[in-house]
Order: sequence, then structure tokens, then C-alpha cells
Amino acid sequence: MPFFSELFVSEILRKPVLDPRGEELGRVKDLVVVKGEPLPKISNLVIERKRKLFNLQWSDLSIFNKRIIAANIYGARLQSYELSEKDLLVARDIFDKQIVDANGAKVVRVNDVKLEGLNTEAVLLAVDVGMRGIMRRLGVERGGEDLMRLLRMHLPYNLISWNYIQPLEPKLTAISLTVPRQMVADLHPADLAAIISQVSHKEGAILFKGLDAETAAEALSELEPETQAAIITGMDTDKAADIIEEMPPDEAADVISDLSAEKAQEILGSLEKEDAEDIQELMGHEEDTAGGIMTNAFIAYRPETSVKEAIESFRRDAEEVETVYYIYVTDAEEKLKGVVSLREILLSPPETKLSDIMVTKFKTVTPETDEMRVAGIISKYNLVALPVVDSEGFLLGIVTVDDIIDRILPPAAKHKRRRV
Amino acid sequence: MRFSKKVLLFLSVMGPGIITANIDNDASGITTYSVAGARFGYSLLWTLIPTTVALVVIQEMVARMGVVTGKGLSDLIRENYGVKSTFYMMAALLIANFGTTLANFAGWAASMDILGLSKYVMVPVGAVSVWFLVTKGSYRAVERVLLFACLLYFGYVISGFMAKPDWIPVFKNTFVPQIKWDSEYAILSIAIIGTTITPWMQFYLQSSIAEKGIRKEAYKASRLDVILGCSITDIIAFFIIVTCAATLFPSGIRINEASEAAIALKPLAGEYASFIFALCLANGSLLGVIIVPLATAYYICEAMGWEAGINKTFREAPQFMWIYTALIVVSALVILIPGAPLVSLMILASVVNGILLPFVLIYALSLVNNAKIMGEYVNPKSYNYISWGTIVVIICLAVFFVVTIIMPAGGKI
Repeated sequence: MPFFSELFVSEILRKPVLDPRGEELGRVKDLVVVKGEPLPKISNLVIERKRKLFNLQWSDLSIFNKRIIAANIYGARLQSYELSEKDLLVARDIFDKQIVDANGAKVVRVNDVKLEGLNTEAVLLAVDVGMRGIMRRLGVERGGEDLMRLLRMHLPYNLISWNYIQPLEPKLTAISLTVPRQMVADLHPADLAAIISQVSHKEGAILFKGLDAETAAEALSELEPETQAAIITGMDTDKAADIIEEMPPDEAADVISDLSAEKAQEILGSLEKEDAEDIQELMGHEEDTAGGIMTNAFIAYRPETSVKEAIESFRRDAEEVETVYYIYVTDAEEKLKGVVSLREILLSPPETKLSDIMVTKFKTVTPETDEMRVAGIISKYNLVALPVVDSEGFLLGIVTVDDIIDRILPPAAKHKRRRV
Repeated sequence: MRFSKKVLLFLSVMGPGIITANIDNDASGITTYSVAGARFGYSLLWTLIPTTVALVVIQEMVARMGVVTGKGLSDLIRENYGVKSTFYMMAALLIANFGTTLANFAGWAASMDILGLSKYVMVPVGAVSVWFLVTKGSYRAVERVLLFACLLYFGYVISGFMAKPDWIPVFKNTFVPQIKWDSEYAILSIAIIGTTITPWMQFYLQSSIAEKGIRKEAYKASRLDVILGCSITDIIAFFIIVTCAATLFPSGIRINEASEAAIALKPLAGEYASFIFALCLANGSLLGVIIVPLATAYYICEAMGWEAGINKTFREAPQFMWIYTALIVVSALVILIPGAPLVSLMILASVVNGILLPFVLIYALSLVNNAKIMGEYVNPKSYNYISWGTIVVIICLAVFFVVTIIMPAGGKI
């Protein structure tokens, strides 16, 4: 049956469906959606007559628009329909649910669904997430338009193409939609975190499972500690350990310290020994001190290293390290002797020794230093990172400028969903 | 599980129940309790026990939904009952909560008056500082303010002791119900239940539990949090009634507002008791002003699928910011306009609240019994009798309350 127009599903719900003689077969109750190329399509209508449900195949329809819906069969040939969890129904399963708008990187609610004729099929073109959709469902779209015209404003359409949607409910993923889960994985981790913090923890965990360890690690570190703990606790230990391993040790330590003691032990147990030690070392410090925010991933070479050797080692070491702009110079006992900036190394002749170019007057803090003091020093001396040393001068770790900014100015995504 | 571990688990999930319960004692709650104590002495104290039971039954179901689904009540209603029910419910909630905000600003203005500060200065100052605290402050700051404010409620316990009540009749009246066939008595006892069990706190509790991400395994601890919170609410209510009953009632002082109670306390219970009473009223009112508009804006926006969040601008989250700002600004303005129909607006709000409550409770009960949503955590059959019983009683009372307000022929209030 040809269908060459566009309509919103709410416009046809409860409309009568006519047989060829013009008698009423029943009223539209819902629409069943199935997979289709390139977009999901309507396979049949569920119609209701005298409180009984019937199944009307799409192919049995002769007219389908927002004014008239007519079939070319008679009531006697209608098959009854059983509501089933396997079918995807537009009004039951898509209306009013939350979805991810991957284009705008936010969570929205479906107010209405727009269909369009494509060849002989009706395909799901877009979802309406705007005010118009709400008004249409309430039956006051026209009134709203008039009111806005009076106020000399335009009532905008707010549609999201089906291509940019990612469902949150596992139910919606049951039918394979044209756009795979990849959409969400391509978002910036900070946007992902914002989305995850807006949905229930269960749905957040589902989204999370679809991500690769690296993306998941980045998104995780952007989340509120409570959400982090809820998500990690809900995962199996191996997957959780994979994600933790991808995180810088300081952030990993923050996440693990929010978990229950058993879960933390389990995860630490399945990490590689070296990573686990790094993390445990960091967990021993108070949260709002230099020790609590420092990372122990940094680059340190001996004073006698030449610039040429340093650059070669740097190529290998920098992969694993978050902040690479300073190279620390330590002696055989790992006492901090000096600092060389990356720029200095790149500009110096290859055979120069690090001890010749290193700066020996530099600022350090102890692990007990308060985070606000650390922030003050970083800000005053315009540093990218600040070394943390113990009373004997051993280099324990570094506090980086991005970590300190997170502490004094939590990023938007870390704010709670409801801040009440 | 070892005991120490149980304590730890409880500490990690506690909060939502206790905070919700505390905010429940806002200006209108304090007013109702004060009026009840001054008018009928200790004789209404017994209503607190059934009220606490009803509150626990309802809050427990709502908390359970929050834990199991991880979603707020307005989300669940939208997802299961469609946009129409949600829209009308949210519209009613907006009106009712406007009235609640108004009542809280009125309480703030009155208590400032007692402390010798002009309301024309303090209401704008209160409104502006709340707006800035919430939209520009960090979550940590807000949370600290809230927790500190919750502690201040214990001032009422102190003022209760300072009123030197005769404890034997106090306890007798608490545990032995007595019924007076007096319309004012009936209305006040219903008002006590009505001010304790409100629609918006069901939304607030479920959201804050969902927000906290409490897991099903920790549900028992969360239930304890709810029970503890409900008990605290009514213990505070108890002391407010006792304070007024011990001092104002014997002298035959009749009051209509909580602030009048604070003034009347001065010659009877001393300057400090009066001061503490006024300070607690200011605190309860301000807490209500912080939470109610914010919570309203959140539930409405989440149910309708609008962008919400206090760190967003008017451009990013227009509906959210406008609802939140308008609730505060309009309420504050109404308080400042001399001769504004304050009382009729608050009565309108309590009527809307009374109409809304049955719907909220019925939706909540049918959601909590929906196995598709709650799985094995649906109400056990026996529990359903209790909850339906409670809800039917509350609905009858709410209907009665609304009828007496609309047609005041029966009552003399």
C-alpha cells in the first residue's frame, strides 16, 4: 500500500479503522515496529474493538493517513492479538521513555514518533522531544500555536532523527536498529559521563557495558564518586579491573577507595601486581591533601643521562604517563635532584647531560600539604605539575594542574543529577 | 554480617529518609502543630502515632521503588501512565508547591519580624541568597547547609523541655487516643496528617534515593533510614505540640500562626524559649524555601523530558531555570505586597495538595505492585492490605479536608 506522507503516531492513536464498506473495524491501539532498511518500519497495527485486541497486517491496509485509515479486509478475517513482550510497540515501549540524543549528547524523553512513507512502507523517521510533542499528546497543539503567535513567537519543532538515537532500555535494543551502539561510544567521555549521570544507575551500567575499556575509564573518571562506585560494583570483577587498569593511578585510587572493602580487595587482586601496588600506595593518603590527589605516574631519569638517551627513553615511557611536560631528575636513591622541562630537553644538544640543564631551585610539597595550598603554589608559579616529596627528599609523586582544578572546581559532569 | 559492618552499611545509605523527614517540618507543619497544641493542649498528641505509622508505610514503598528502579516517581508515572496524567499531576504539583513556598516565605518573614528584622529587607535577602546558593554554589555547600539546618530542628526539643510540661498527662495523651466530637478538633487532626504526608515529599524521597544509587542489597539499611526519619519528624512535631500545649493552652491563648506562638511564649516560657522557637521557625522555613522550588523544578522537567540542572544557564535549561526562579520570585513578591490574598492562596494550595495526594498515592501503590517494574520486590500480599487500608483512610481524610475547606458550613475554622 502506498503511503506518501508524514504523520505523528499520536495523531492516529484511537482513530477508527474502516473496512471497505466504511464500517468500523476497531480503533488504533498501537503500532508494531520491526527492523527495516534503512529505518525500522511498521509491520502491523494493533486495533481494539469491544475491549479485544486484533492484529491488522500493514499489507491489509488500503489508506493510511492522519484523516482516514482503511483496510481492504472485513472484520471476520481479523486475527486476534496477544500483547507480548517480544513485540516492540510504539505507544507502549517508545512513548515517554528516555533516550540518548547522541547528536546533542543529552538524555531526552520521547513525546511522539514521526512516521514517513518510504516506498510502500511506513518507517520511523524521527522522535519528537519538544514542546509540540507534549501539546499534541494533550490535544492542544493548535491552541499552543495560536498562543505563541499572539506572543509573536514561533513554536519550534524539536525532532531528533532516528539515526541519532540510542535507546537506554534493553527492551529497545532487542530489535537491531539501523544505528548500532557505536553512536554513544563515539561521544566525548565527558559528554558520556553527563549522560550516564542523568539516567538511573541500572541504565548507566548498561550503557557502560557497551564501551571499550579505555573509553569507559575516561568516562568513569568524570563521574561523581557515588555513581562510580555504583557502576563498578555492578560489573563483574574482571571487566572492572580492565577499566581500572586503564585509569591513571590517582583516579583509580579514588574510585577504589569508594568501593566496599570486599569489592576493592577483589579488584586489587585481579590487577597486575605493579598497578595494584601503585594504587594501594596512593590510597593511604588523606583525600584533601597533596598525597590524596597526587599520581605516582611520572617520568624520572638519572642526572648523568644524556639528552639523547632521555629522548629515547621518553618515547617509550610517555605512553603510560599522564603529564609529560616535566622530566624529574633523581639520584640512585630516588631523591629528587632537579627538574627539566620537555622544552629544555628538545632544545638542548643531544650529548648534554641532564644535570647540566636541570633546574635545582624548584617548589615541592609534602604529602600532608593541604590541597588549597597546593593549588596556591601551582597558580602562583604557573606550574603544570608539582612534585610531592617526603621529609627526606624522596620523590613520591606529582600533583598535576588538571587534578587540582577538579578539586577546587568540580567539572559540570560531576555534579549530581538532582542537586537537592 | 558483623555488627560494625552493619553500622557502616547504614551510614553509607542513610540520609534521604532523614533529610526528607526533616524538611517535612517546614513552616506549615510547624504552624499546624503549634495551633493544635495551643488550641487543644495535649489531647491531639495521640494522632502522631497513627500518622507516623501511615508515613512509614507510604515512605517505605516509595523508598523501595527508588532502590529497585533507580528512577524517580515522576519518571515512573510518566513512563507507565503517559503524558496526560503526568502533565496534570505536574501542573497540580506546581500550584501546590507554589503555596508551600509561599507558606515558607511567610514563616521566614514572620520569624524575622520576631527577631526584630524587617520583612521588607529579609525576604528579598532570603530569596536572593537562596537563589544564589543553589544556582551558583557547589553541591557540597548546599549539602552542608542542609545538614546543619537539619540539626537546628533539635531546638524544638530544647524549647519543649524549657516549657516544663507535666510529663504524665503528656504520655497518657500520646498513647491513649481520645476523640472529641468537635469540628475544629477533627479538622486539626486531619491537618496534622495532611501536613505530615504531602505529595511532594514522595517525589523528593524517591528521587534522592534513586540519586544516591542505593543497591537492592542495601535496601534494609535504607528502610531503617526511612523509619528513623519518619520517627524524627514526629518527635519534633511532638515537642512543638508539647511546647505550645504546656504554655499557651492553660492560659487560653489562641493562635493562628507559628510566629504568634513564638511571641506568646515569651512571657510564659521565657525569652530563650521564644527565641529558639522563632529561630527554628526561620530555619524550617528557609529549608523549605531551598528545597521545595528546586525539587519542583526537577520533577517537572524530568517528567516532561526537559533539560534540568542548577549549573545550567537560562539558555541551556530554560524551563528548569524559569520554574525554579519564578517559584522563588513570585512567592517572595506576594509576601511583600501589602494586602495580597496570602491566606486564600495558601488555602488554594492545601486544597490542591489534598486533591493531588490520593492520585499520587494510588499511582505509587499500583506502581509498587507492578511486577514488570518491581520484580520480586512487589508488595507482599499481607502488606498490601495494610498499605491499601492506610491509603484509603488517608484518601477519605483528604477528601473530607478538601470538602470542609471548600464548603466551610460544617467547620468554624
